[in-house]
Amino acid sequence: MTKKVFYVILFFCFTSLLLAEINFESYVDNTEIGLQDRLNLTLEISGSDAGKVAQPQLPRLDNFSNLGSSTSSSSSYSFTNGKAQSNITKKYIYTLRPRKTGDFIIPPLKLAYQGRTYTTNPIKIKVVEGTTAAAPPTSQRMQTNTRNDNTTLADNLFLKAVVSDKQVYQDQPITVEYILYSRYEISNLAFGEDSGYQGFWKETLFVPEQINFTTKTENGLRYNTMLMKKDLLFPRESGNLEIPSLQIKADIRTQARSFFDFGSSKTYTLESKPHTITVKSLPTAPENFSGAVGAFQLNSRISSSELKVGDSFTYTLEISGKGNLKNFTLPQLPAVNHLRFLDPETSTQLNADGVSGKRTIKYLVIAKEQGQIEIPPLSFTFFDPEKAAYITRKTANYTLAVAAGDMAYIPSSRAQMSVEMEGADIGFLAEISELKTAEIIYKSWLYWIAVILLLLSIPASFIYRKEQEKLSSNQDYYRTKQANKILKKYMKDATSYAKENKADFYTAAQSGLANFLADKLHIARGSTSDVLLSELEKQAISDELFAKVKELYAICNQARFMPGGFSDQQISQHHSLLKNVINDLSKIKFK
Amino acid sequence: MKKLAIILFLSLVANLMVAATDTTLDDAFSAYQNQDYQQALKLFLQIENEGFIDADLYYNIGNSYYRNGELGQAILYMKKSLKIDASHEKAKRGLEFLLNQTRNKQSLQADNLLLKFFNDFRDSISLNWLAIISLILLGLIILTIHIIIHRYANRERAVPYLFITVLIAILILVLTLSKIKYDQRYQVKEAVLLSETAIGYSGPSPDFTRVFTIHEGLILEIEQEQDNWSLVKLPNGIGGWITSDSLEKVTIR
Repeated sequence: MTKKVFYVILFFCFTSLLLAEINFESYVDNTEIGLQDRLNLTLEISGSDAGKVAQPQLPRLDNFSNLGSSTSSSSSYSFTNGKAQSNITKKYIYTLRPRKTGDFIIPPLKLAYQGRTYTTNPIKIKVVEGTTAAAPPTSQRMQTNTRNDNTTLADNLFLKAVVSDKQVYQDQPITVEYILYSRYEISNLAFGEDSGYQGFWKETLFVPEQINFTTKTENGLRYNTMLMKKDLLFPRESGNLEIPSLQIKADIRTQARSFFDFGSSKTYTLESKPHTITVKSLPTAPENFSGAVGAFQLNSRISSSELKVGDSFTYTLEISGKGNLKNFTLPQLPAVNHLRFLDPETSTQLNADGVSGKRTIKYLVIAKEQGQIEIPPLSFTFFDPEKAAYITRKTANYTLAVAAGDMAYIPSSRAQMSVEMEGADIGFLAEISELKTAEIIYKSWLYWIAVILLLLSIPASFIYRKEQEKLSSNQDYYRTKQANKILKKYMKDATSYAKENKADFYTAAQSGLANFLADKLHIARGSTSDVLLSELEKQAISDELFAKVKELYAICNQARFMPGGFSDQQISQHHSLLKNVINDLSKIKFK
Repeated sequence: MKKLAIILFLSLVANLMVAATDTTLDDAFSAYQNQDYQQALKLFLQIENEGFIDADLYYNIGNSYYRNGELGQAILYMKKSLKIDASHEKAKRGLEFLLNQTRNKQSLQADNLLLKFFNDFRDSISLNWLAIISLILLGLIILTIHIIIHRYANRERAVPYLFITVLIAILILVLTLSKIKYDQRYQVKEAVLLSETAIGYSGPSPDFTRVFTIHEGLILEIEQEQDNWSLVKLPNGIGGWITSDSLEKVTIR
C-alpha cells in the first residue's frame, strides 16, 4: 500500500502535476459481534495529501447506531533520491452499536477528492445475541479455556497459502505465497517441519529475515500480515499434485490483566491449508521443442553488417518473457560457412517474481572470408499455456557484406583461444639429404687408440720428468749426456767431410774428439791434447784403445800442419779408425 | 699410375652406387607424393637393404607402413628410428600418433616428472656427442696430470687436484650416461606385436591358462625366450607367454 503511494508521489515529483493520489480504506475491529458489543469502524485516508482531505461522510446505517467518533493522524517521512516525502495517515474511528441481530453489510464508503472518487469495499458483519467477547487472549484464559480460545484464535491468527494458479501445464511456473495473518502481538516466529514438494522443481524466491508486518484489510477486518515464504514451483509431472501445508510456530504475547501480570508468551503452531494443483501434460511436442513453457519473445541483432575479413561482430539472441526461463535448451546456431562462432556468453536476468525476465546469448563471430554471407534465421519453439499451443518464433536473417581485410583471420583478444585440432594424421616423410649409416664412435678403434695414447702419455711424461730432474740435479750426468750429443754432431760433420775427401775432416774429427773427451772426463773444454791424453790414461781403458786415440791425435795434428797431405784412401781409412775409437770410447764408463 | 687408376675406378663405382641410391630415394619420395604408398614402401625397404642405418630412413619406412595400414610395422620402425636418434622429433610425434591408433592403450610419456626430465635429458644428447665429450674430458684430465708433473713438482697442488677431481666426476657421469644410451641402443628387450591379435598364456604352451589378448602395435618387453615362445611384459605390468613369431624385436644392425 505504501509502495503504491510512494510511486504516486514519485509520479508527482516528476510531472509536477497537482493531482494528488490518496488511499482510502475502511475496516472494522471484528466481523462477528454480540448485541451488547461495540463495533469500531475505521476510515483510513493515507497519502501525501491526506491532511487536505475533508472528513468523509458516514452513510446512514440502519442497523447500527453511531455512538461517536474520534480522529487520529500520523505522518511519516521518507527520503528517496535525496527528496523528502511525507506520508500522512488520518483515521476516523466511529463507534457503532448494533441494533439487532442478523447479517448486515456496511456499504462501500465514498470519498471525493480533486475530482476523483475513492470507494472502499463493503464489510459483512454478523451480529449475534449476547457478546462474542472478542477480547484478546489473556494468559489465564489461554490456560483454562483453550477450546473456545482456538475458535477465536483461528479467526485472529492464521496462515494462508496463496497459489497463483491451480490449473497449469507441466513446467509452467506457479508461485505459492504463505501469508501470516495476525491480530495479536507476535514476538517470535519460526518455521516448523518442511515436508517439501513432491513432483515440483522448487525455487525459493523470498524468506523474511526479520519480523516485518504490514497492515492489510481482509473481509473488513484489519490484520497485521507478513509474507512468510514465497516459492516458485515448476511441476515436473502431470496429474494432481499436492502443495503440502507449511508449519509455522508463532509466539504470541498475552496482554497483561492486572498490574502484577506482565503478560507472558505462548507458542502456537499454525498450518496452512494444503492445495491440490491439477497439472496437465503437454500435448505432443514438435521436433524442435525447446522445453520452454510460457510466453516468450525472440529478438536478435547483430552489431554490424559490414565488416572486413578478420573483423568480429556480436550476434545477440534475446529470449524474454514469462515462463521457465532457466530450464530450456537454447536454440542452436547452424554452422555458417566463412564465419566462426566462438562459444557464446549466456546470461539470464530474472525479475523479482522469478518467472519473467530474459535470457541473452551473445556470440562473438569472426568473418573468415570475404563475400556476401547469410546467417539463416533461428527458430525457437515453446508451449504457450494460455493459448494451449506450441508457438515457434524465428529471428530475422541477416546478410553480411564482408570486404577483404588486411588482417588475417585472428580471433580477437577478448575471446582468444588456442587452435583446435581438426584431424589427426601421421606427418609427412622426413627429408633425407644424405643417407648415412650412423657410426658409433665408442665402437670405432680410433676412439680407443686415442684413449690408450692419452693414457700412455702419463708414464711417458713421468719418465721425461724424472730425466729432467736428473739432468738439473747432476751437472756431470748432464755433460756426459751432452758429450754423446757433441760426438754425434762432429761425427756427422766428419763423416760428411770424409765422404767428400776433404781435409776439413781432420779438423772436425780433432775438435769433436777433444770436446767429447773433455765432457766425458769432466774437465774444462779447450784443454790441450796433452792434458786430455794424460787424463785419459788415468781411466781404466785398454792400452790398445789408448794407443789408437794417441795415433788419431797424431794424424790429426799432422793433417793440420800439412793440408792435402793425405790421399782419399787414407781419409776413408782414418774415418773408419775414428769410428772405431769413438765406438769403443762410448762403451767405456768414465769415472 | 696403376694405383691411381684403381682409386679412380673405385671412386667411380662408389659414385655410381650413391647415384643409384639417390634415384631410388627420389623415386620413393615421388611415389609417396603420388600416394602410391606401396611402391614408396618397397623402394624405402630396398634402400634399407643396402645397409643404411639412418633415423630419417627408418622414420620414412614407418610412415609408409602406416599408410599401407600396417600399424605394427609402422610402430616398429618408429621405435627403430628413435633408437638411432632419440631426439628425432618427427619419429617421436609419429610414434605418439601411432600409439593412439592401437587398440590397446599405451603411452610414451613417463608418469614421473623426474623420470621424464631425465629421459628428455638423455634423449637430447647423442651417443657420439657423449663419446667426443668423454674424449675431451679424458684429454683435459691427462693434460692436467702433465701440468701437475711438470709445473707443480715443488708447489702446492690443491687447485689442480680439485680441478682433476671435478673433471673425473664429470667423466664418470658422461660414461654412465653413455652406458645407459649404449644399452638402450643395443638391447633387444623391446619388441612390437605385429600380428593382429595375440593371446597371452601363463606358460609357453596354449595348454596353460589364457591370461590376456593383445592387439597389433603393442610395445612389449621380452623377459625370457624359450623355443618359439616369449615371456613378455605388457605396459601395465601384466606378464604372459606369446608365440615369438607374432612379434618382432626392436633391433638395429
